Amino acid sequence: MTTPGRPAEHPFLEIKDLGVAFPTEDGLVRAVEGVSLSIERGRTLAIVGESGSGKSVTAQAIMGLIDRKIATVTGEIWLDGQELIGLPADDLQALRGAQVAMIFQDPMSSLHPFYRVGDQITEAINAHRSIRAKAARAMALEMLRRVGIPAPERRIDDYPHQLSGGMRQRVMIAMALINAPKMLIADEPTTALDVTVQAQILELITSLQDEFGITVIMITHDLGIVADVADDVAVMYGGRIVEVAPTGVLYAQPEMPYTLGLLSSIPRMDRELSVRLEPIPGNPPSPIHLPLGCVFQPRCMYSDRVAGGACLSVRPDLLATAAGHLVRCHLPAEERRQISQGVLNVLAGGS
Amino acid sequence: MAAYVVRRLILMVALLFVLTAAVFVLFTLLPGDPARLTCGKACSAQTIEANRHRLGYDQPILTQYEEFLSGLFVGRTFSADSPEPIVCNAPCLGYSFTRHEQVLTLIAKAAPTTFWLAIGAFIMWIITGISLGIFAALNHGHWPDRLVMGISLVGYSLPSFFIGLVLIFFVVIKWSWLPFPSYVSPFDNPFQFLQTMILPWIVLAVLNTAFYMRLTRNQVLETLNEDYVRTARAKGLPERTVVVKHALRAGLTPLVTAAGMDLAYLLGGAIITESIFNLPGLGALAVSSVLESDLPLITGITLVTSTVIIVANLVVDLLYAVIDPRVRLA
Amino acid sequence: MDRMDKGWFRALTLGAVAALALSACGGSTATSVPSAASQAPGVSTQPSTAPATTAPATAGPKSGGTVYLLTQADQFDQIDPQRAYTGEDLAFFSATIYRSLTAFTYSPDNPTASKLSADLATDTGTPTDGAKTWTFTLRDGVTFQDGSPITCADIAYGASRTFATDVINQGPTYAIAYLDIPTLADGTSAYKGPYKGTGQDLYDKAVTCSPDGKTITFHLKLAVADFNYTVTLGFSPVPKAADTGESYGVAKPPVASGPYMVQSYATGKGGKMILVRNPKWNQASDSYHHPYPDQWEVDFGLDPKVIDQRLIQSTGNDAFAMQYGGMQPENLATVFADPKTPNTQFVGRADSSYDIYDRYLWINVQKVSNLQIRQAMAAALDRSALRKNAGGDFYGDYGDGTIKPNIGADYAPTGMWDTLLGQKIPDTGDPAYAKSLIAKSGVAAPTLTYSYPDTPVQGKAAAIVQASLQAAGFTVKLQPLPSGSYYSTVFDPKKAGDFGTGGWGPDWPNASTVIPPLFTQEGGWDLSQVNDTAFNAEVKAAQTETDRAKQSTLWQALNVETMKNVWVIPTFFPLAQGMIGTKLATGTGPNGGFYRWGPYGSNPYGDFYVKQ
Repeated sequence: MTTPGRPAEHPFLEIKDLGVAFPTEDGLVRAVEGVSLSIERGRTLAIVGESGSGKSVTAQAIMGLIDRKIATVTGEIWLDGQELIGLPADDLQALRGAQVAMIFQDPMSSLHPFYRVGDQITEAINAHRSIRAKAARAMALEMLRRVGIPAPERRIDDYPHQLSGGMRQRVMIAMALINAPKMLIADEPTTALDVTVQAQILELITSLQDEFGITVIMITHDLGIVADVADDVAVMYGGRIVEVAPTGVLYAQPEMPYTLGLLSSIPRMDRELSVRLEPIPGNPPSPIHLPLGCVFQPRCMYSDRVAGGACLSVRPDLLATAAGHLVRCHLPAEERRQISQGVLNVLAGGS
Repeated sequence: MAAYVVRRLILMVALLFVLTAAVFVLFTLLPGDPARLTCGKACSAQTIEANRHRLGYDQPILTQYEEFLSGLFVGRTFSADSPEPIVCNAPCLGYSFTRHEQVLTLIAKAAPTTFWLAIGAFIMWIITGISLGIFAALNHGHWPDRLVMGISLVGYSLPSFFIGLVLIFFVVIKWSWLPFPSYVSPFDNPFQFLQTMILPWIVLAVLNTAFYMRLTRNQVLETLNEDYVRTARAKGLPERTVVVKHALRAGLTPLVTAAGMDLAYLLGGAIITESIFNLPGLGALAVSSVLESDLPLITGITLVTSTVIIVANLVVDLLYAVIDPRVRLA
Repeated sequence: MDRMDKGWFRALTLGAVAALALSACGGSTATSVPSAASQAPGVSTQPSTAPATTAPATAGPKSGGTVYLLTQADQFDQIDPQRAYTGEDLAFFSATIYRSLTAFTYSPDNPTASKLSADLATDTGTPTDGAKTWTFTLRDGVTFQDGSPITCADIAYGASRTFATDVINQGPTYAIAYLDIPTLADGTSAYKGPYKGTGQDLYDKAVTCSPDGKTITFHLKLAVADFNYTVTLGFSPVPKAADTGESYGVAKPPVASGPYMVQSYATGKGGKMILVRNPKWNQASDSYHHPYPDQWEVDFGLDPKVIDQRLIQSTGNDAFAMQYGGMQPENLATVFADPKTPNTQFVGRADSSYDIYDRYLWINVQKVSNLQIRQAMAAALDRSALRKNAGGDFYGDYGDGTIKPNIGADYAPTGMWDTLLGQKIPDTGDPAYAKSLIAKSGVAAPTLTYSYPDTPVQGKAAAIVQASLQAAGFTVKLQPLPSGSYYSTVFDPKKAGDFGTGGWGPDWPNASTVIPPLFTQEGGWDLSQVNDTAFNAEVKAAQTETDRAKQSTLWQALNVETMKNVWVIPTFFPLAQGMIGTKLATGTGPNGGFYRWGPYGSNPYGDFYVKQ
């Protein structure tokens, strides 16, 4: 997918060395550490990872939803030339919903069960501008129509529990886009939905993105859906970004063994049934007791190929391996590509 | 909704029939003879029978129950041989031969005390319990939370008769800050009314405040973690709106059920508190009626307090449906 | 304590007792105390106007002030003069709102107190026809609160209400028992009371008035030597026009004949009765009452522990307060040095002395017919453990019969525990001797069922009874009964056990209100189910003996006979403790101090005044 977008000196969103840590009785939970990212205006970035990898925390940090009473946030987040982390709470609040909007995994629990969906949407309008109730309602109605809700004039007075799952997520999208934000963060937007509805919702997000020119961050654990929507993909593991690449590159030439593992666990229609899906053995690391070296080392089956046991003792850096392709791995680039091609061949059904 | 209410009311009437019938049956099953008990000293067999006739216990139990029911709808006359028989107009709950008064009059006299006791304590514990609970929840994990929870644990573990007696001993007897409780209507003497009610209110409120503090805190904490509260924040709503409109509205809804039923039970009479503080309420009246084997009074109080509780149950259910649109009444 | 048990109270609605023989203060003060009846204190008590207090500097009774009565009860059991039967109520009403033909004298000395004074009557009555006819003459100027004169007809009407048993109940029934009106086959009187009117002519023959309405004559079906005591119970006048039957005295205040009248009455916790001076009462027509306080206030439904505390503190209005009924055991140590003596700071405002009750274990003689078995039961009983359980020394003394010493001349020691059982029995019981009695009885030790009210104290007492009788070889099964309905259950021999706990208080200071009710079928309190023809004849002889001294001897002998037969096992002569506030005093008490009044085992209501 190509997107228009002026070449900018600064990316639309730039995250520099983001760290989020929660002090607990058991120790400091480093949920996110050293995350740096940038997204150009109008593009879609997918952040992929298992639960606990830090992808949702990263999203909440962008939204300013991390409770500063219980967590410390370090680093910089630049949104269209404005730094967010140091921003006062009131300014952040004004930003939320107006500049950056967010939709969530479970539209049932994310909508307030006691309020009519129309009221929840108009409440979002009223949070950012003064407008007559009638006008707000008309806006909400229009937006409901835009997100594909049939007979919105009737649905607008429904309660969330009276809608289907897909409808609810459309309402969430309508609510997120009602103030014409510049950016939408979608946190696992399809995970709780039926497979048939998933595609519709993704399609809706894509088409609205085109229409409004929004920048999108799509957070998911499912590499399978990324291919259809994202321009770029960032893979997170253990609170870090371990690989970033344009979507096509990542699928064709993944270099980080973890990305490879994720790719091998995607069920694909074109694969032969004889090929066994290969989940990555082991569990994600505890955010309190991270491994000393590479955080993926305990589950990596190639770490013994690195001389001097650097994987056990040295944290690898996120380094460019090609233009727009960054990898965090001690393995030499050549060896990474060899391993990657071998695995992809097996997946493709070759011998 | 209307059909639902009608069905519930019909069910209520049926339940009240069963309850009053059960009181009649239980009363006859009790050992001892109310005719003998209320006959006086050294009672001969003839006077016992005369007394039994006077009380109406010489009739078959079914007839007695029928008369009770017909009294409810058309009224009754008691002590027909008196120069001035006791005319009890519908709805007649009966006549207490122990107290020489109509049951409805006795209940009507006791009800305001219990009402004021319940309402005052209720307001006290709802305000303190909920505000302290919210305060604790918003300061979750910090010292205000721990302090509030510690206090609630202490309040929770003190029995009401203990608090009552300790308060009377210190506040009234030892320090003489308040006179001995002597109930008056708030309309007759508001100052004495407050002087009398403040301690009973505190006694009833302490226990319930502790409970509502915990309930509120846990509910609010739970709700603050709900996805829809996160959504509200993501919309850019002010924190005040997020907490009050989104978190509290949902978090405090279960309290409606608890509070409604607690208030209803209290309106049926707070036996221990009324006894300690010498309050002429329904609880105290109920205890006396049982001790005096006064069937008409027992039946009347049962009927009235059960009605209050059943109606409260219905009101709570209706209120819940109004608050939470997911609840459907059918 | 079981004395506080409501059912127990209710069953033992009371009457009179006299002659406090064992009271610590009784004997020593007897000579110094004038009779209140014959000597009016030097204070005028004109009603409705400010009292003319003529003795400013001297201590002594003065008019004025409000006296407060603090009571646990929610209401008076009965206010109707024909229905009131509780000792404390009778004492209070006879001092305040109602007058009778005769009344008992205010004095801390029981022999004096048990003497009758004339109240509405000019004297204490004249018996003729061997005490089968009694005549009383009314004083001049006696009126109801509306100013209408009290006549013979009002007294006759009042007494006639007792016969309307389906309306007027719970009161004393001596009118039915004594007046010369035939009894029908079903045991009821041929006169059905003034409301139905059946047999009115029979009543009008039994109670006759002189043409001027000044003299009333009662014709009795048997000789009643102490009928002038009987007329203190249920013979107060009621004006026919004001009688509403069931609701009399409750719906509207009763019509007062005494020095006070009811201003308001609200029952229940927080309820009050306010008595104010009766404007139509005048001292000239009354040599019995000396109404010192201007007002009485009865506060109902108080916690008894709180009452004790308030009186101990005695601050504010509580300084003018007294308690209705006895003190709680837990406060006795604060107030009393020993069971009969108050601590120094409470001298003059606390008193511990015999109440009118006596306690015993009844034995159903139809079920336990063998005398030696009953003797063995008595010998085995550990009365010492029972007394400790009931509250120890403060609870009372060991009893030796059903007649209590404070009744006066009718009491003499029976020797129950010294000789009657064949040898001296210790307070702790003698199981070995009991075994030997069982051996002599010729029957095996039976299995016995013990009935008792199911309260904590009575439950422990039952365990003591069970253990001490089982030590002698009996098997004892326990039958706990709901305390509120204990008496109404055990009066049915089919439901009652073989023996059980019981108590009694006489109606007036004559054993004629003890022995006949307890041991004859007509008596009404025959828990032992005694029905002994020879004994009944002896009782009849004693009842009709007009020589009071001879009568006493007969009662003493009958008391011994009931003990010899072990129809009951006597256990205790209980004490009661009472207290008043610091600013109350009595007209006849030692140094104006508090005393408990013998005739009703009550406060001497008519004798109180407020210190000024």
